[in-house]
Amino acid sequence: METSELLKKVRKIEIKTKALSRQIFSGQYHSAFKGRGMAFSEVREYQYGDDVRFIDWKVTARFNHPYVKVFEEERELTVMLLVDVSASGEFGSGTDKKGGSKRESISEIAAILAFSAAQNNDKVGAIFFSSEVEKYIPPQKGRTHLLHIIRELVNFEPKHPGTDIGQALKFLRNVQKRKSSAFVLSDFMDSRYEDALKIAGKAHEIVALQVYDPLERELPDWGLVRMHDNETGEEFMIDTASKANREAFAKFRAEEHKNFDTLMNKYGIVHTSISTQEDYVKPLITMFSKL
Amino acid sequence: MENIVFAYPKLLWLLLILPPLGYWLFARDKKTRPYLHYSDSSYRNVLKKTWRQRLYPTLHVLRLLAVALLVVALARPQSTSKQSSKNIEGVDIVMAMDISGSMLAEDFSPNRLEASKQLAREFVRGRESDRIAVVAFSGEAFTQCPLTIDHGILENRIRQLKSGVITDGTALGDGLAVSINRIRQSDAKSKVIILLTDGVNNAGSIDPLTASDIAKTYGIRVYTIGVGTRGLAPYPYKTPFGIQYQNVQVEIDENLLKQIADETGGTYFRATNKNRLKAIFEEIDKLEKTKIEVLSYEQRAEEFKPFLWAALVLLLLELLLRLSVFKTLP
Repeated sequence: METSELLKKVRKIEIKTKALSRQIFSGQYHSAFKGRGMAFSEVREYQYGDDVRFIDWKVTARFNHPYVKVFEEERELTVMLLVDVSASGEFGSGTDKKGGSKRESISEIAAILAFSAAQNNDKVGAIFFSSEVEKYIPPQKGRTHLLHIIRELVNFEPKHPGTDIGQALKFLRNVQKRKSSAFVLSDFMDSRYEDALKIAGKAHEIVALQVYDPLERELPDWGLVRMHDNETGEEFMIDTASKANREAFAKFRAEEHKNFDTLMNKYGIVHTSISTQEDYVKPLITMFSKL
Repeated sequence: MENIVFAYPKLLWLLLILPPLGYWLFARDKKTRPYLHYSDSSYRNVLKKTWRQRLYPTLHVLRLLAVALLVVALARPQSTSKQSSKNIEGVDIVMAMDISGSMLAEDFSPNRLEASKQLAREFVRGRESDRIAVVAFSGEAFTQCPLTIDHGILENRIRQLKSGVITDGTALGDGLAVSINRIRQSDAKSKVIILLTDGVNNAGSIDPLTASDIAKTYGIRVYTIGVGTRGLAPYPYKTPFGIQYQNVQVEIDENLLKQIADETGGTYFRATNKNRLKAIFEEIDKLEKTKIEVLSYEQRAEEFKPFLWAALVLLLLELLLRLSVFKTLP
């Protein structure tokens, strides 16, 4: 993608997300992500009504006048975006104006989250992963950094096709020792991440955002379909003209989805599923209101 | 359509491209057809293989069959029907039969006439491609049956020969002349008269030798057969008390018959009994061999059309199936 085009897209995302992030996080954001406890800010003279527990005895002794420590609730937190750039994200039915690929949806949602975090003056970092961690952008503040992340979101070319969410979560734990809000943006077409999720879930506040395409939930009657698995490269033919097959597929997917829900609930992870075909704002708002 | 031959059989070697073509079709279907790039394949085992998937390769088979038929059509299949036309140079034969009363002599069984008739019929049966006429004579001569190829009628007419319908006697000359008259205008290469008699020329207005001269002029060979045993022969007489037999001396003018035969290039035979007569007829049969030229030619009709139609139908069928039942995506 050319730079001008990219900038245009970034501008578009910025405009779109500024409004959205306000909409999404208005009121809830503060309470949603609690700061990392109290941080010492300054000492000031004791005033009537101050909690005696906060009197700084050393300063009081030096000045012979009561001083209290003033703590500030640390508002600043780190937002980590775990972005799935595996080949499965390239799929998108795109029957609608809205419908892009899953990867595009993920990028947009990630951009919104990044903008929102930047507005709150939070540090934003990103981990791009496929079957391995493809790129790590350490959390930082600032608009330049934000644009850097967005550029990567739009432009990143993964080297591996597969998906390994566990690897990404492990990596997150290794690089991010302090507690952060980690958004996992993926289609969650991976089954071996439970352990990593459990461990990472203790250290970080994880939010799982599953992006799916409607055609991944149900197959239409398309006759014989030659399928190519983006991740493994397997090629085979399926028969969607058979009603039994379509039903089996839908049932299989529903089960998978249920398993995803169950797993996330088990570790108390906030999660939602967002279709590429529908507006992602509503599900995001609903999810954040639950936080 | 019973015999199919190919005008360009070498083109059938093109059928050898079928296996690689088939391989190519299958490989191409696997390799170069577009695939739906989908997220995963975890559902693969959930879906069952349906008959549509199983039968999908028949499309290629249909295509291959169509190509095969095209190749066959290209090799110009032709149906041949052999038409043989026998160009028969038939021999024209006149059988001049003596039906005089003496022919009723029973030295042959049942008598000379019946034996002669029977053997003459057999002779006729054996010469399918010749035109044969029958002339009967005794005191006079008449044509029992003109030259004909219709051997059915001929045999019938021979069967109908009877003694005593005309004046008794033996008019050898007349019999020969009538026979010559029957045959002279024939344009057959070989003209033959078989003169069968048992007596001496004693009636008629034409001298047998004159007749043989005429025969010679027309290039007619005359085979003469003298019928009758040597010595006495039992001859039936009708009396008021029934049929009685009297032995009569057999008189055959052998010299005359020999002369006639020699002059015209034929042969004289003497039949002393039925078997001998049969042998004589067989000998004449051998001597007068019919020249048969068999011209056989083949008629070929182009038969590529059904192959082309079949190929077209198969191709259309394949297309139709590809677009309907075996519709694939993408």
